[in-house]
Amino acid sequence: MKVLLIAMYHPELVRGGSQLVAYELFHGLREVPGIEPVLLCSADSNSPAMFKNGACITGFDQRENEFLFLSQDYDCVWQKLPLPGHAEAFAEFLRRIDPDVVHFQHFLAYGIDYLTLTRKVLPRARIVFTAHEFLTICAADGHMLRKTDGSLCEQASQVRCHQCLPALSPEMFFLRERWMKAHLGAVDIFTVPSRFMIDVYARWGLAAEKFLHVPNGLNMPPLPARSSGTGRRNRFGFFGQMVDVKGLPVLLEAVNMLRAEGFEDFTVEINGENINFASPERRREIEAFLAEEEARPVAERRVIFNGGYHHGQIGARMARVDWVVVPSTWWEIFCLVISEAWHFGRPVIASNKGGPAERITDGKDGLLFELGDARALAGTMRRAATETKLWDKLADGITPPTPREAMVQGYLAAYEEAAAKQKLAAE
Amino acid sequence: MSDATTGKAKKTPPAPLPEFDEETYLRLNPDVLVAVAEGKFRSAREHYEHYGRAEGRLAVALRDLPRDRVIVTARPGGAAEAPHAPAGAVDTIKLSSAGGLFVAGWINDSLDRLDTVELYVAGWSIAFSASGLARVRRPDAETVVGLHLPCALGFWGFVYAGQRLPAGKCNAVIRLKSGVELITIVNIEFLDDLELRGTVLHHLAAAHYPGPASFNAASSISQTIGTQLVDFSQMLTRKVVSAPYVERFHQDGRAPKASVITCLYGKPDFLTLQQALFAGQAGAEDYEFIYVCNSQNLAEALLKEAAIARLVYGLDITLILLGANAGLAAANNLGAAHARAKRLIFMNPDVFPKDAAFASRHLALSEDLPAAQTDIFGAALYYDDGSLMHAGMYFETETMPGFTLGKKEDACLLCLEHYGKGAPPKDVALLRPRAVPAVSGAFISMNRAWFEELEGFSQDYIFGQYEDADLCLRSLEAGRPAWLLSLPLYHLEGAGSVRHKVHEGAAAVNRWLFTQNWLEPVSAALLGPNPAHPALAEAAP
Repeated sequence: MKVLLIAMYHPELVRGGSQLVAYELFHGLREVPGIEPVLLCSADSNSPAMFKNGACITGFDQRENEFLFLSQDYDCVWQKLPLPGHAEAFAEFLRRIDPDVVHFQHFLAYGIDYLTLTRKVLPRARIVFTAHEFLTICAADGHMLRKTDGSLCEQASQVRCHQCLPALSPEMFFLRERWMKAHLGAVDIFTVPSRFMIDVYARWGLAAEKFLHVPNGLNMPPLPARSSGTGRRNRFGFFGQMVDVKGLPVLLEAVNMLRAEGFEDFTVEINGENINFASPERRREIEAFLAEEEARPVAERRVIFNGGYHHGQIGARMARVDWVVVPSTWWEIFCLVISEAWHFGRPVIASNKGGPAERITDGKDGLLFELGDARALAGTMRRAATETKLWDKLADGITPPTPREAMVQGYLAAYEEAAAKQKLAAE
Repeated sequence: MSDATTGKAKKTPPAPLPEFDEETYLRLNPDVLVAVAEGKFRSAREHYEHYGRAEGRLAVALRDLPRDRVIVTARPGGAAEAPHAPAGAVDTIKLSSAGGLFVAGWINDSLDRLDTVELYVAGWSIAFSASGLARVRRPDAETVVGLHLPCALGFWGFVYAGQRLPAGKCNAVIRLKSGVELITIVNIEFLDDLELRGTVLHHLAAAHYPGPASFNAASSISQTIGTQLVDFSQMLTRKVVSAPYVERFHQDGRAPKASVITCLYGKPDFLTLQQALFAGQAGAEDYEFIYVCNSQNLAEALLKEAAIARLVYGLDITLILLGANAGLAAANNLGAAHARAKRLIFMNPDVFPKDAAFASRHLALSEDLPAAQTDIFGAALYYDDGSLMHAGMYFETETMPGFTLGKKEDACLLCLEHYGKGAPPKDVALLRPRAVPAVSGAFISMNRAWFEELEGFSQDYIFGQYEDADLCLRSLEAGRPAWLLSLPLYHLEGAGSVRHKVHEGAAAVNRWLFTQNWLEPVSAALLGPNPAHPALAEAAP
């Protein structure tokens, strides 16, 4: 069986969760006998050196079955690429590869209409679509986070969407929903990494029975010692992107509150990057905090900024902390950081919504706090740092995260289910 | 006051009154006081003897002056001041290559009414009569004059000469009824024809009016400007449609059963959106789509969108690109000329099917129902919010008392109303198939032969508006009223195009024109939601 994986970005060009998952799947499928995976990753102005004059699709770094789709002028309003040459090239690529399964791990930088194009070019191919967020539903980056008041959005509608993005009229959102659904109609099976997403998509009008839950799985580096700690469990770590929805300012505010209470027996290590993608306000807030921290005498510093990290460094970074804090202010679809923390035996303190709320059982394998509430986080951190045996209890409660092999098997099952759906539809 | 230096009105003076008193005469005649002070007369008595007595001026102080009423101290007109030129100016004269001529200015003619505005240029001249000029407010002039109440001091006019005229300096004369002239020298600005049309329409829409703007804009051009603008615009339309760029994105061997003709303006995305939302319909391949673009700057984007649409959706598309805005009617007529099917659908770019069976249902209705119901029919249109926006159209009049513009006649304009605008979506009475006075041009399905017999849409209307009602009325006059059939569509009114001030100006012209063309027959039997016309007995919901 030939599987074409369509991914947003190559993880070695632009880091990010969905591209990492797609790449893990690509490598995982290679190890399955009888499966031939082909990977097509988008590249855009983030990677200008990858562009070749006149080419729409090229190879990547002399790697077998890895290709780049060179996207430009992408229309983020309608999520489409207004370049017929690219559509022709994509169609020709589909014909050449002639896959049995076309698995869209994302559509960004290609266009949602490439689903319909795929169906037209390959009428018998199974089309599988993995949603890593809610971009088809929500024009505000797919976060379903209301721009009006920062609250989580439970239900999109043309008026509510217009309130978030007033430059677009309700009529445009009415059309956007129909435009998206017209193309999603080409999909045989949807997969989501967290179950709660199925409810959100079903409320939006997609058929729940076309969804499968396939948790993300990573091929993790070898395990180091469980902890290099001293017995006191007062070291907290933040891992991930420093963009707004990851909620780093909530953690920093919690630090301020703990200090104000006179509690200073803790450290916070920030392991993150991509602050350039944060909003100017949040970026200023974070940088001002870090500058102020840097200006303190060493003995008074509680927050340490370590910068970004690559996959191979994750073990060393995890070894420096006892707890991993996930203060995300959006739904946080799956949160690979939780998987990484669990892999290294670190309990997670996380916001109580979305993927973390689905994965973490409060008091069993981690702690949950009210999303966006810095005071609640400060209280949880103080408890974590002071309550005897809490860390040991939660660390013992951790279930090992889904391995890559399990994710691969989950997707292979989805491909089979897609075939069954096609057969059923034909009958 | 008579001028002592002109030598006019010389008469033999009668014997002076013995009780004549210099001081009293000057008090009663302040103009004489000024004239004596300026040395034009040696004394009050001299003025009285030469002119004042003949003019009937009072020379003796009234004893016990009656209180609270005016006492006339001279015969009416006898002591009139020599007319002074009031404040005003011709501000702008614009001329286009085909001979469109626009003039604008202002004049304080509240006491001495405007007669003509005359332009003298080397090689040609013109006199705009006051009745042919539109009068508008000029708040800047009101400030200059010191008026505290709104007053139509501004004027503007337009004529289409139909030939190239030299530009240059112009001697512009504002002539008042009294004969007083106000002369200004103005440099004529030379413009492209399309630019001048835009300027004039923008001016029409942006002007301040002393009453309801949309109404007065339409009625202000009723004398001359409207006709001239329509002629000018027709000339432009003929030019634009004479050189279209046509590209077909077709699959071989298809013979469409219906041709969907859509005029695009300002927003290329709507080609893609329509294709995406129609392509999923069962039977969509029986249709061809003809997009006529009235925005030159969209050409590149549309060629790309059409090429992608052919790949992704596979429906037959014909793209007709125009170099400028020819108007909706001309674009539709051009699209019809390129259509291959015997059924034509004229559809706005912001119209989308409401249910999945639209394509097949439309063809079934067209083929199965009697010709009287399908030669021309419209559809139930819905807003994006789910409520009804159109279940046919009917006519009303709007009347405005004439005093707002200082005219004696009341002004009357026709207006179009929708049956069921904003109504709940399933109102059975509104949705009942029936003959109606007119249907919205957002969606009109027509038997091609009937469309051609009616000679298509009238291209007199500028840009677009009222040509749909005009077509329906001509069809009704020819014996076939438009029908409303049960065929639900969404109409996201206005979302599929961009609207500027010039379009508001065009709307004013079109409203005036539609009234000119149809006020009489509509008033006779077609007014209101329940018209008396025998063919429309069932029109009312």
